[in-house]
Amino acid sequence: MRSLGGLGRPSLIAALVFAALACVLFVIGALRSRRDLTRAGTRSLTAASGFTIVSASALVNALFAHDFSIEYVANYSSESLSRGYTLAALWGGMEGSLLFWTMLLTTFSAVAVRRSRRANPRLTAWAGAILAGVGIFFLVLLVAPADPFTRLAPVPGDGRGLNPLLQSPGMMIHPPLLYSGFVGFSIPFAFALAALITGRLDEGWFTSTRRWTLFAWSSLSVGIVLGGAWAYTELGWGGYWAWDPVENASFMPWLTATAFLHSVVIQEKRRMLKIWNVTLILLTYVLAVFGTFLTRSGILSSIHTFTEGPIGKWFLPFLGVMLIGGLGVIAVRADKLKSENRFDSLMSRESAFLANNVLFLAAAFTVLWGTLYPIIAEAVTGTRLSVGPPFFNAVFIPIALAILALTGLGPLISWRRMSPGAMGRVIRVPLIVGTVVIVALALAGIGSAGALIAFGLCAFTATAVGSEFARGSKIHRRRGATGLASALARTLTRNRRRYGGYVIHLGVVLIVIGLAGGAFRTERHALLEPGESMRLGAYTVTYTDLRRSETPEKEVNEAVLDLRRGGELVAVMRPQRNFHVAQQQPQSEVSIRTNPVEDVYAVVTSFDPDGAAAIRAFINPLTWWIWAGAIVMLGGIVIVMAGEPVGARSAVRRTVPRPVAVAE
Amino acid sequence: MKRIPAAVTLTIAIAIAIAIAVAAPAAGAGPPEDLANRISGEIMSPYCPGVTLHDCPSDAAVELRGRILGWARDGWSRERILDRLEAEYGASIRSTPPASGAGLWAWVMPAVAVGAGLLAATAVARRWSRRRAPEQNLDEPTPSQRSRLDSELAQAREQL
Repeated sequence: MRSLGGLGRPSLIAALVFAALACVLFVIGALRSRRDLTRAGTRSLTAASGFTIVSASALVNALFAHDFSIEYVANYSSESLSRGYTLAALWGGMEGSLLFWTMLLTTFSAVAVRRSRRANPRLTAWAGAILAGVGIFFLVLLVAPADPFTRLAPVPGDGRGLNPLLQSPGMMIHPPLLYSGFVGFSIPFAFALAALITGRLDEGWFTSTRRWTLFAWSSLSVGIVLGGAWAYTELGWGGYWAWDPVENASFMPWLTATAFLHSVVIQEKRRMLKIWNVTLILLTYVLAVFGTFLTRSGILSSIHTFTEGPIGKWFLPFLGVMLIGGLGVIAVRADKLKSENRFDSLMSRESAFLANNVLFLAAAFTVLWGTLYPIIAEAVTGTRLSVGPPFFNAVFIPIALAILALTGLGPLISWRRMSPGAMGRVIRVPLIVGTVVIVALALAGIGSAGALIAFGLCAFTATAVGSEFARGSKIHRRRGATGLASALARTLTRNRRRYGGYVIHLGVVLIVIGLAGGAFRTERHALLEPGESMRLGAYTVTYTDLRRSETPEKEVNEAVLDLRRGGELVAVMRPQRNFHVAQQQPQSEVSIRTNPVEDVYAVVTSFDPDGAAAIRAFINPLTWWIWAGAIVMLGGIVIVMAGEPVGARSAVRRTVPRPVAVAE
Repeated sequence: MKRIPAAVTLTIAIAIAIAIAVAAPAAGAGPPEDLANRISGEIMSPYCPGVTLHDCPSDAAVELRGRILGWARDGWSRERILDRLEAEYGASIRSTPPASGAGLWAWVMPAVAVGAGLLAATAVARRWSRRRAPEQNLDEPTPSQRSRLDSELAQAREQL
């Protein structure tokens, strides 16, 4: 069937021309302080964005029109694919995902430049030039080695369809959110570099891009959690995080970005750590692009990398230019990046923030090191080694627990200085609660030291954050004689950034509770004939029936499992083992019974011809809290974002800089 | 802070502890199953790139997990099973690098990163704070000063 796919490649070439024009106009406009050229550059960048959107729309149209003369359409869609997953095919393959990435990049760039052009013309001109330069790189990839509109001859009658693993509701949202996060960091990165180039190293560059930073971090956070939810519900191994290289690729920039969101508060409050902040945002963006390189280069094996493509070698020079160029400009401007203030005391909130930053950075390094170590070891020693989840758990969890402790401690410590006596007073109650939780759990028979520490720190941090809310509410109750609920609401709304940040911290605590529950997982598997049972902790799982059916896409084989506890039927579970016709690929669909105490998780790994089912079943305690914590985090993000002024101009108008996102 | 009733905090703490203790399951039924599950989480799958055998959904992985369970049921120790797998699939089947030879640096560098980072940060903070220390008054506020501080903080918060 014919489609608008023919528009795709010409649009990409037009976008590339306009991006190049924008870059030139911005650079000349910045060098000669010509606002008219900056305006023209902005229009060119907007045109590049428009043409990229046209190109992406052409590919979407080709997907929906089943135009299998386009190789990408034939490889990632089929006539039987549902409409939702047909749209998801836009980012289901390497070329389409790059096109989607580039569309987001040019569009975000155009919007950011338009918004801040009047308030900071010179800064914006340089930022525009950098963003257009990044856009040129991705558009060149799309025009040359990763063309999504390559034609296919002869034209097949039907496509191969989308990978069954990607046919999940989570996959409709997870990749766009991750890409929004990765691409969103290009805005603060470009403005930071622009500030370095112009020598305007006050707080202007990050107040101009505050909302972008928050948006990118939030998108990445939610994207990562949704990725975990997808793995949990689709992959059938009972877990949500496998330290897979691609997962790590999204996690590393999240870690450095989280460090940045915290350390930027110190620059706003105390005008310190300027070098640190520009370095962190540089690292964050470099790691985001590095993740894209890892996913697409084929240098690392992963269950969900794109197939090894020709574009990996294009990324290395680009990454080198970004890293060396960025660090070079930082080195040149080092004099202007000196802190205007000093630490007053080691026992201060500044020190807690600094320790937090060091730990986040060490955590990011640890993940990077573990991810790359097999390549490094083979290159240096010729020995093939693997670095899997046990390694990451061993080295990462202690760092994460230290960060959790600081999450509780930080809000309790005052800025500038705090005496040991005052410190002892403020941490007394959280410390008692944390200790009581550890002792009570140990007495109740919990033997895992790691889990005990995690639960104790969760209690410590939750109490510390709760006490901050209690203190804020008490003040409002005293002043307004309102009820507890309205006092809490007033506390939240009067300082959304601070208390929204605390809500995010509470979400993190809930997530850690859920993760720590993984220490108590029970797993059993058995080959069951219909009518046979297996024990799973306190439950009995009975395989009662096999139901077969067919849809245009797949042959469905559903095992009906009775879940009993103490002889009483508590649930009927229906895991499936299906065969996807277009891909000639089997795929398991899990069945989960979830509640705040535990998940019972069942998956069929195979069926025998005589109807016997290989059942794999898990009890995953407290997993529910991971998703609940993510929702609480999202609530905190909404509260923080609601406290942000819309647009850079309002930020610039403020005379007193305000912190970005985290609880101060 | 200190006015939060002790009974409330203790109640919260005990409630959390009870909830977690209820959620944590009793010990599993069969040691062979637990051993097999643990081992499949300690080795990389020869069939799924970058994923442990435990997490690999392929049919071949299911079969290998079954073999490991069989060895565990036959009374093989963890080391014997891991050695057998290493002999069959090579050293890279182990998901953790050895703490010696080519694998040593994998373990050393994260510790070095944390240690060096914290040492550097402490040194910088100490150096900066030492410069400022003589100018500061380290006395703690008196109760009346604390009361005034609370009141002014409340006003400041109200104005934010």
